[in-house]
Amino acid sequence: MFNTVLSAAVFGVEGRLVSVEADVGDGLPSFAMVGFLSAQVKEAQERVRTALKNAGFRMEPKRVTVNLSPADMRKCGTGFDFPIAVAVAAAYGRIPQENLEGILIAGELSLNGEVLPVPGILPMAAQAAKAGCRACLVPKANEGEAAMIKDVQVFGVRDLREAIAWLCKETQIAPAKEDSLCIQPQAVCEDFAFVSGQEAAKRAAEVAASGAHNLLMVGPPGAGKSMLAKCIPGILPLPGVDESLEISKIYSVAGLLRQDGAPLCGRPYRAPHHTITAKAMAGGGTVPRPGEISLAHNGVLFLDELPEFSRETLEILRQPLEDRRVCISRSGVSYEFPAHFMLVAAMNPCPCGYFPDMSRCTCTHYMVQRYLERVSAPILERIDISVEVEGVEYADLAGHMPAESSAEIRARVEKAREIQKERYRGTKYRTNADLDQEGIRAYCPLGDAENRLLETAYHKLDLSARTYFRIIKVARTIADMDQSERIRGEHLQEALCYRSISKKYWMGR
Amino acid sequence: MGVEHISEKEREYDWFWLCSIPELYERDRRLLLKEFKDPRTVRAEAGKNADALAILGEKKRQAVLAHLRSFSCEEEYQKLCGKGIRFISRMHGDYPEGLLQMADAPSGLFYMGRLPRRQEVCVAVVGARMCTYNGRKNARELAERLAENGVCVVSGMAYGIDAQAQEACLAAGSASFAVLGCSADICYPRENRTLYEQLIRRGGLISEYCPGTAPMAFHFPMRNRIISGLSKMVVVVEARKKSGTLITADLALEQGKDVFAFPGRPTDELSAGCNRLIQQGAGMITDIDEFLEINGLLRQKRETEKNCRQGLATSENLVYSCLDSESKSTQSLADETGLPVWQVMRILSALQLKGLVAEIGKNHYGKIR
Repeated sequence: MFNTVLSAAVFGVEGRLVSVEADVGDGLPSFAMVGFLSAQVKEAQERVRTALKNAGFRMEPKRVTVNLSPADMRKCGTGFDFPIAVAVAAAYGRIPQENLEGILIAGELSLNGEVLPVPGILPMAAQAAKAGCRACLVPKANEGEAAMIKDVQVFGVRDLREAIAWLCKETQIAPAKEDSLCIQPQAVCEDFAFVSGQEAAKRAAEVAASGAHNLLMVGPPGAGKSMLAKCIPGILPLPGVDESLEISKIYSVAGLLRQDGAPLCGRPYRAPHHTITAKAMAGGGTVPRPGEISLAHNGVLFLDELPEFSRETLEILRQPLEDRRVCISRSGVSYEFPAHFMLVAAMNPCPCGYFPDMSRCTCTHYMVQRYLERVSAPILERIDISVEVEGVEYADLAGHMPAESSAEIRARVEKAREIQKERYRGTKYRTNADLDQEGIRAYCPLGDAENRLLETAYHKLDLSARTYFRIIKVARTIADMDQSERIRGEHLQEALCYRSISKKYWMGR
Repeated sequence: MGVEHISEKEREYDWFWLCSIPELYERDRRLLLKEFKDPRTVRAEAGKNADALAILGEKKRQAVLAHLRSFSCEEEYQKLCGKGIRFISRMHGDYPEGLLQMADAPSGLFYMGRLPRRQEVCVAVVGARMCTYNGRKNARELAERLAENGVCVVSGMAYGIDAQAQEACLAAGSASFAVLGCSADICYPRENRTLYEQLIRRGGLISEYCPGTAPMAFHFPMRNRIISGLSKMVVVVEARKKSGTLITADLALEQGKDVFAFPGRPTDELSAGCNRLIQQGAGMITDIDEFLEINGLLRQKRETEKNCRQGLATSENLVYSCLDSESKSTQSLADETGLPVWQVMRILSALQLKGLVAEIGKNHYGKIR
């Protein structure tokens, strides 16, 4: 008898439907599995056979053939154990085929018939909903995760016996609760209310958050650069349902969702150590897993001590910073992970950290130059805003001036983002940072006086063409924060102060 | 063997031969000349009797012998000219007079561009490599005023004060000379390439080291004596307490040259060396034109500057005034003026575009005028 069960594999962060076919026929007893399977999937037959037996299902000695189609797609992972077991049971006639129609099944089996959680349930459920399935049968532990998808019913089971009984309509299981996405500001992040002084850096962070610009902070050790960076997720607008789902999908694939299956709240904040390899940054492995840049999707990627990162690691950021996604190719397939993150970087101005304070800096000119050269120009060019973070004054530390809280700042940021959303409705842009030259022409018109100002600046400050466009983009954001339709001179003037460091004027020449 | 039989050209070749031994320094050459009177004799004696050079020590003796075998004066001289480098011995009429008075004047000089002319007045402007914005400003202003009064600036083409002074001098239209710690055909530091090229065209690069000599740390104190030797006086713009610049000042005093220094606050580390010099009796520069006048260098007075504060808005003036004493960051300017930081940034940009301030480090601003 021939039966098929629907399951799914994960490619990148997308699920792809796989149909698991099983046939039981006469002949020499055997258990054969085909369909371009990896070793993990091939091992499934032992788990399936034993789990079925321990679930109280007696497999008569017959010739069993299992095929996973489409057969040209390499299948890996342990998520096929459960559908294979169901398909085999159905092929033995235990479950009627019509009961299996429109149900997507995924999960790992233990030998005693328990159904164990697997990574990537969320994208699978999303795919099931897309394909119009009526239900998903998933491990109990993954239930909450799959239930984030509203368009499909989700049933969680603890073991195979329970599953078979339900599929045969002998028992009832309550569908998993539609966990509404509880969106709240990132709990782990710091609050700007506790950052004393540093008005210049805070302002820069607010501008950066308002336009989703990348940010570079330069300053001596102990000035509070990391603290400021940790505050940034808290002032970004709260993620929408779509954004949260995108984030959760990535974390689901990486197996990093919380054990209770609760969806992630708020925006991710990733701060990899500077010894990170290029592969860990971009994502990699034989079956690629999302790297730090994808885990920071829709959130903040903080790189502390930017010049200490290996060149390879930094260079790999270039393409994702442009395309907002990363492609990883393996023989025959290429995986795509989203990587739309806000880059926040911090660095010392020189190896000792005190330049340009000449009474404390002990570095030679050459050392400073060498240190700066470690960050390549193409990376610096993708950072719209750069700001100096100064050491904290005692008065600020001990002062009682209550600083603005992140929530207050976030309210302003959300307002500025709202204006951008309105303006870019129906275009390929999401925020000011996304603007390319064409977009700048269309959305950032400058008046005569502003043009003159920029022309003077171009000559006087020796700007490059790239810097020129970046200054307009940042000025657009500052104007949005001012609720100003037009970009005015003062907006450009402020934007000029955020232009990124260039080696030439670093030494004041 | 009479000196009168040797033509000037041959004599220059002899000195060129002696000065082209890379392993020998001026001290060794002096030793040889004391023993053998002139380079020709050195060459002849060394050819006759290898042991005659024993005073040099074994390593250097071998080097001289190797040089004797392999070095062909005419050929090498052609090569030298091909690179645009010229050689002058201290016997030559055009050898800078100032150097001849030194006890350890270099036996020969390799140079690109030209040497200072007899009628040209040279002033050495030296200072720290890692300098403050103020030091840089002082160096540039002094060099500019010197140039405007037809004086040439001599320095070491190092980062910081040296390069800034020489650049400003060239920009103001005067000639400038750099004495290098490596051979004249090597641009060290590499970042000063533009200045290096300019100096070849509008001044000179001078070195006592033969072509191909790399910059070694111990070359720099040696070249300092040439800097002060070429100059009428030495001005120290900025120096730490222990600074190579102070060597130049000491050498200048030994040579009987006047030393001047820009004073600084007692707390400024980069002025500690200068203040020490002043304490020991060096001249103090408080006003550049006054300094020029005292030393008889002032030919034309500085045009009285028009008040650059005119036309500034009140808030602009407020920020501009805060920059009076030293360069400051955006944050500290905001703290001092009490203005919100974004407004300070807008004002600073406006001042920058008016040419009144410059950004000297990330978000660090200093006054230009």
